[in-house]
Amino acid sequence: MKIFNDAATQVQCESITQWKKEGKPVVGYTCSYAPAEIFYAADILPVRLRGIETEGMEVADTYFGPFICSFPKCILQLAGKGKFSFLDGAIITPGCDGMRRLDECWRKAGEDFDGIVPDYFYYFDVPHKSENHGMAWYIEEVKELIKSLENHFNVSITNEKLKTAIKVFNKGRRILKEIEDLRGKDDVVVSGTDVFAATVAGTVIPRDEYTKELKKWATALKKRKTSLSKEKKRVMLVGSVSDEIDLFQLIENTDKAIIVGENLCFGIRYQGNEISEDGDPLESLAAHYLGASVCPRMFGKYKERLKILKDRIDHTKAEGVIMQNIRFCDLHGAENALFERDLEAIGIPCLRVEREYGPHIDAGRMKLRINAFLERIDAKSDQKSTEPLSVSA
Amino acid sequence: MNIFAGCDVGSLTAKAVIMKNNRIIGSSIIKSKPRPKDSADAAFHEALSDAGVSEDEIKYCIGTGYGREKIEFVDEVVSEITCHGKGARWMLPTAETVIDIGGQDCKTMKIDKDGNVGRFSANDKCASGTGRFLEVMAKVLNVGIDELGRLSQKAKDPITLASTCTVWAQADVIKYINSGVPIEDIGAGINSAMAARVAILVNAVKPEGDIFMTGGVAKNVGVVSTLEKLIGKRIKRARKADPQIAGAIGAALLSMEKVNGKMAA
Repeated sequence: MKIFNDAATQVQCESITQWKKEGKPVVGYTCSYAPAEIFYAADILPVRLRGIETEGMEVADTYFGPFICSFPKCILQLAGKGKFSFLDGAIITPGCDGMRRLDECWRKAGEDFDGIVPDYFYYFDVPHKSENHGMAWYIEEVKELIKSLENHFNVSITNEKLKTAIKVFNKGRRILKEIEDLRGKDDVVVSGTDVFAATVAGTVIPRDEYTKELKKWATALKKRKTSLSKEKKRVMLVGSVSDEIDLFQLIENTDKAIIVGENLCFGIRYQGNEISEDGDPLESLAAHYLGASVCPRMFGKYKERLKILKDRIDHTKAEGVIMQNIRFCDLHGAENALFERDLEAIGIPCLRVEREYGPHIDAGRMKLRINAFLERIDAKSDQKSTEPLSVSA
Repeated sequence: MNIFAGCDVGSLTAKAVIMKNNRIIGSSIIKSKPRPKDSADAAFHEALSDAGVSEDEIKYCIGTGYGREKIEFVDEVVSEITCHGKGARWMLPTAETVIDIGGQDCKTMKIDKDGNVGRFSANDKCASGTGRFLEVMAKVLNVGIDELGRLSQKAKDPITLASTCTVWAQADVIKYINSGVPIEDIGAGINSAMAARVAILVNAVKPEGDIFMTGGVAKNVGVVSTLEKLIGKRIKRARKADPQIAGAIGAALLSMEKVNGKMAA
């Protein structure tokens, strides 16, 4: 677990340093739409960019302005402070408008801060629809990306290599799924904080090493007997992008709750699903990364996303859902309101909170709302055994 | 002896309530001190002496408010949202929607017949729509916080604040004072700005049934009457106790339930 915690709480963890020592390139990416298998096939370490360790906002505020999500701002701040100096490349994806602007702002900041823009800096476009034309477009984009990586890093990314990469990644995906199944049991033996740290670590640690460690950890978890869920409320955490272990700790350190599931793009949402190992690897990647995407940036998929969330609530026996959105995150802010409406209507208590990202989080304010929410679930379960609520909740 | 206490340490004031047989026998409201622990001690002892009982006679005490975790003498801590719901239902037994405006927070909640909180919404980390906003403005106008509410009733042509940001609104208010606008009109504009901000939260939970307001701002007639207009519903008054101590009452009631089971309310 230590290797996962280190990777989840440090911008440059030991695995990255070690990889660099071997003289191999590292490429950062900003969004779950960038297929990590492509980098693996090129022997490049893909590292998902994060905003933890941010201490101020002076660089980011200069280029971004105040009315924008603090997650891409934190990434730019870290870039401006040289925290991403280990990157040989960066790929920006339009996961949302804030992320798209990171491309422009980072380039612009690079004019003022020497050496903060990696030599390889690539904008990877992603369609908002996954119908046939969207899939074809995405495959074209992936082909372009492959060509560009091959040219810049002097590598060859063949279909065979991609197929191997998919198989390697699937191994980890299967183990994550097994761990996920443990969280649905009556007695949960693993904290949400630990599972999330292990999942975030998967976006940073070299895949072979990660799969090995994950397997070891999963084997140990399966032998665990001590229940961590007794006397605790089972909650799910959903909403805006988050790689913040502190946010999970904030909830679980109340000692009143265990996070039994999350629907976050750094979490199992993507990493838990297997990719087809048959047929054309590019089509398989597209089917997974674009076709199976449940991100609210995708057009016309709300019902599908709600169903996935409901299924996960059932699977994890969650008693309530905490929905957070980073301020100015319209995608999740709007979707959380819809989720709240539809889930409350079927009797699932929801808490909707707006917050800043990571180091800027207002812990006291969040804690009050979370405590009140857990007390609400408590009162509700007390009442279930006696009589129905007189007010529609 | 069936005596219970609740202590609500807020950012602006600390409140304590001593209850016996479901009745208040002592209470206190003091201005918060820099350290929550000191505020809690002072409020608690004042309430004890008001009730004429000693600390040893208290069977159970629950702490609440933003400083709740720093109170040493309590048996348990509970969030102020839960406490205000409980206290509100005790003060107005028909209340179904509660608006609580505290020093740094504003919350709206639905409650059931036992005062248990259902859906709730709370303000973001901005000070507008909170007691702090009114405190800052009263200071600029050089009037007491209690007096600010009454200004609305005397206003002839209330001003409109361009921003509900506490800092910008303050600059706006100073501009109006300097240009000779009557203080009543400025005060009324401040109360309306506050009410407008709170109305957003109230509408977010879709108020139903009897609406009740707790927290110090409930005593500001200007804010309450404008808020009633904005949400298109009457906010019920209750004379049973000072709405500012509703959180402490709720904490005392929860203490009672903790020991005696759910028979209190």
